[in-house]
Amino acid sequence: MAGEGMEIEVAEKQLKSLDHSEQHYFNSYNHHGIHEEMLKDEVRTRSYMNAIVQNKHILKDKVVLDVGCGTGILSMFAAKAGAKHVIGVDMSTIIFKAREIVKVNGLSDKITLIQGKMEEIEMPFPKVDIIISEWMGYFLLYESMLDTVLYARDTYLNKDGLIFPDKATIFVAGIEDGDYKEEKIGFWDNVYGFNYSPLKDTALSEPLVDTVEMKAVVTDPTPVLTLDLYKVQAADLAFSCPFDLTARRDDFIHALVAWFDIEFTACHKPIRFSTGPHTKYTHWKQTVFYLQDVLTVEQGEKVECALHNRPNEKNKRDLDIKVEYRLETTDPNRQAGGTCLYKMC
Amino acid sequence: MTEAFPRSDSGSVSSSDNEEDNWLNKPGDEDDDEEQERISIVSLLDDKVFSDAPSMLAYCKDKFGFDFLAVRDRLGLDFHGCVKLINLVRKGVKSGTSLPTEITADHLADDSLLIPVLEDDALIFCLDELPELGQGQADAGAAAEGKEALAGTKAPAVDELLHKNAQMQAELEDLTKQFTNYRLAVEQTLDKRWGVDEEADKAGASKPGAVAAPADAEEPVRDDSAYYFESYDHSDIHETMIKDAVRTNAYRDFIYANKHLFAGKTVLDIGCGTGILSMFCARAGAARVIAVDNSAILDKARENVFRNGLDGVITCVRGRIEDVVLPVDAVDVIVSEWMGYCLLYEAMLPSVFFARDRYLRPDGLLVPSHASMWVAPVSDGEYVAENIDWWRDVYGFDMRAMQAGIYAEARMTVMPGDAVCGEAHAFRMLDLHTAKVEDLVFEDKWQTTLSDKVDALDGFLVWFDCFFGESREEVVEARLTAKEWAAGGRERVAFTTGPFDTATHWRQGLYLIDKTKAKEIEVGPGKKLAGEIRYSTQEGHARGLDIRVTWGLEGGDKQAQTWQLN
Repeated sequence: MAGEGMEIEVAEKQLKSLDHSEQHYFNSYNHHGIHEEMLKDEVRTRSYMNAIVQNKHILKDKVVLDVGCGTGILSMFAAKAGAKHVIGVDMSTIIFKAREIVKVNGLSDKITLIQGKMEEIEMPFPKVDIIISEWMGYFLLYESMLDTVLYARDTYLNKDGLIFPDKATIFVAGIEDGDYKEEKIGFWDNVYGFNYSPLKDTALSEPLVDTVEMKAVVTDPTPVLTLDLYKVQAADLAFSCPFDLTARRDDFIHALVAWFDIEFTACHKPIRFSTGPHTKYTHWKQTVFYLQDVLTVEQGEKVECALHNRPNEKNKRDLDIKVEYRLETTDPNRQAGGTCLYKMC
Repeated sequence: MTEAFPRSDSGSVSSSDNEEDNWLNKPGDEDDDEEQERISIVSLLDDKVFSDAPSMLAYCKDKFGFDFLAVRDRLGLDFHGCVKLINLVRKGVKSGTSLPTEITADHLADDSLLIPVLEDDALIFCLDELPELGQGQADAGAAAEGKEALAGTKAPAVDELLHKNAQMQAELEDLTKQFTNYRLAVEQTLDKRWGVDEEADKAGASKPGAVAAPADAEEPVRDDSAYYFESYDHSDIHETMIKDAVRTNAYRDFIYANKHLFAGKTVLDIGCGTGILSMFCARAGAARVIAVDNSAILDKARENVFRNGLDGVITCVRGRIEDVVLPVDAVDVIVSEWMGYCLLYEAMLPSVFFARDRYLRPDGLLVPSHASMWVAPVSDGEYVAENIDWWRDVYGFDMRAMQAGIYAEARMTVMPGDAVCGEAHAFRMLDLHTAKVEDLVFEDKWQTTLSDKVDALDGFLVWFDCFFGESREEVVEARLTAKEWAAGGRERVAFTTGPFDTATHWRQGLYLIDKTKAKEIEVGPGKKLAGEIRYSTQEGHARGLDIRVTWGLEGGDKQAQTWQLN
């Protein structure tokens, strides 16, 4: 179709006019690999499918907005669940693929896909009944689209409208991770006989996205941020939270691990999934923050912590994170405390 | 002067809370001695880059007849004056207007000239490196002031001296502040370089503490190279490369086992990254190593070199090898890890050739010395099912639209050796001492005899071997594998990136046949396939690569498909 060809051209031009970092962000979604990874993440995709398809009574005859629709899978779930109409919006040119997919699956009359920024496009409906979105990034907030979802909520969602999912919680725990810390951080102390400590500082300041085994978790997990998507404001994403981590056993703490849980409370039977170390693998894995010190903890002892997070001023999709920790014990030799700065970029 | 700089915190971790405002500045354990080396100085009048100010100014004087020092001395310029003069010249060059034939104090009256034209103009930091202001004028000024002071009575003279002293102290404070501000601007710029397009900088992304380039600055030509170099700014890619033991061990083994080739020699390391190869060479006894890289990682290389006590031997220079002016005219050895996916992706080899032709002595050595490329047929039904056919049914939806273009690109992947269903064929051997840029665009014949591993012909696998010869005269036979060569009697070093040995970070290039278009051919053990393989560069993406393979049964029709590496 000539019309579509031109539209793709316009879309590409539009992408080129964006800030470089934004361009990079959207372009990274143009490639197949990332969509394949997300679709093949069964925990993620199946949770959304269940939340939508098992709740036909909620979706029936509703107008649904899919923010950041990608390949259109969530839009198609919603159409199959009986939605009156679904609008899928995505900035990335993947949306042209989504259109082809929607068409071959015979859902073109139920789903309208719009390429553009949520904040700039013209919506075919003044209001929608349900917003669905898979907006979560690593550490929940890194490269996340939450601000776009909030914009859509404030602009288009009916007063009693629903959001799928509507609750997100970040958890933190302390982990014993000596071997891996040695491999990732200690490695730089001796690289083929050379001192590479300049790269050690960098490695320490970059949170590591990786899988953590449950047996490595030394403390009880503690929630540090809970988002109610009906209420949260963009400004709330810069937050500070003091919390305690209580040791479950005598062990060492080399790092903090963070993950998030997602809930669809609007469902008939609430559906939730977790990206934590205690459950099935997801493409979000977990996020590890190495501490400068190794804490030696005894069962029942508390590590007083505080986590501060804010979007980077220069690139709002990057995160600046600060972790403070203090271990107070009666044994002065084990007392430790410090502040670590991290940048997710 | 260096004491005036605030020392930044020595690490990313600190127990103090008083740095709330900039608690995420990149850790930079600045060492003052290193500072002079840290920054590359861009020529006042063109794009050449120098490692110190005097040689840049000498170059400007020789090449363009512009004598900065003479103008400074003639006008008796102080620090601010020099900054203004630098910016006046840079502004002129940038806007393309010619400089006044004789620069006078009037030209430098405008205080807006204090705003740097280049955002991190290293020259401004190096002003103190320049020879002292012409003694005659300075002395004359001081003498005149002295006379004035002595003309009064004694008490007022002391007062005046005290007053002057206070004035000068205030001035010094101003200067210190000024330096601190510049320093901050540079730090911020360096910070930003870790994540932001250099071109965006050039195009005038405004920053605190620095001025935006004029809006009408020429449209930057979209050249992928900025992005290319930035992709090497981050340490994870260097971690991957250093931890690729096949790669790093090969360089280490060759260099340490052949110290006689390095002892007392001048070595050039192109694309030095974290500096590991340069440090190997220095440890092997090189008299001097020049490490060049155009990525921000060079700052880390400098720190690494310094911490390992090798800064007396290794000089780090930031810039494109084609642009930088090296502190030597010729080198004895060029060491470089330039290899990309399928050997030639990223097209760094032409830069090595440039340096070879420009700097390497006639009897000089290239490390590595040879590289060969291999192709083999592939049969792997499981891979195709998981990666291609999977799109037919995704949670009950037909997503075959996602397959479009799936065959247009090479897939970089580590394939198991038993996916290879026929003899591997070495289609090109490059002798790096003599190869030319033209040799990197080619079409070669290839052939294979299929093995009993063949179910269906799913595609082709491409990889490369790398050889470390001890002299220019060394010949590596065209079809020799790395293993065969390394086993060739003496202690020889070579490595392969192929599917039958330890995987490397280069993986292999998998070219899947588009079965929606290709004609199926009857395959089976013992059958012979033949065809051509062509490497060509892409229009509009100089670092990309197009690879075209033709194939067919011996004596039968041939078919062709082209894949891109982007």
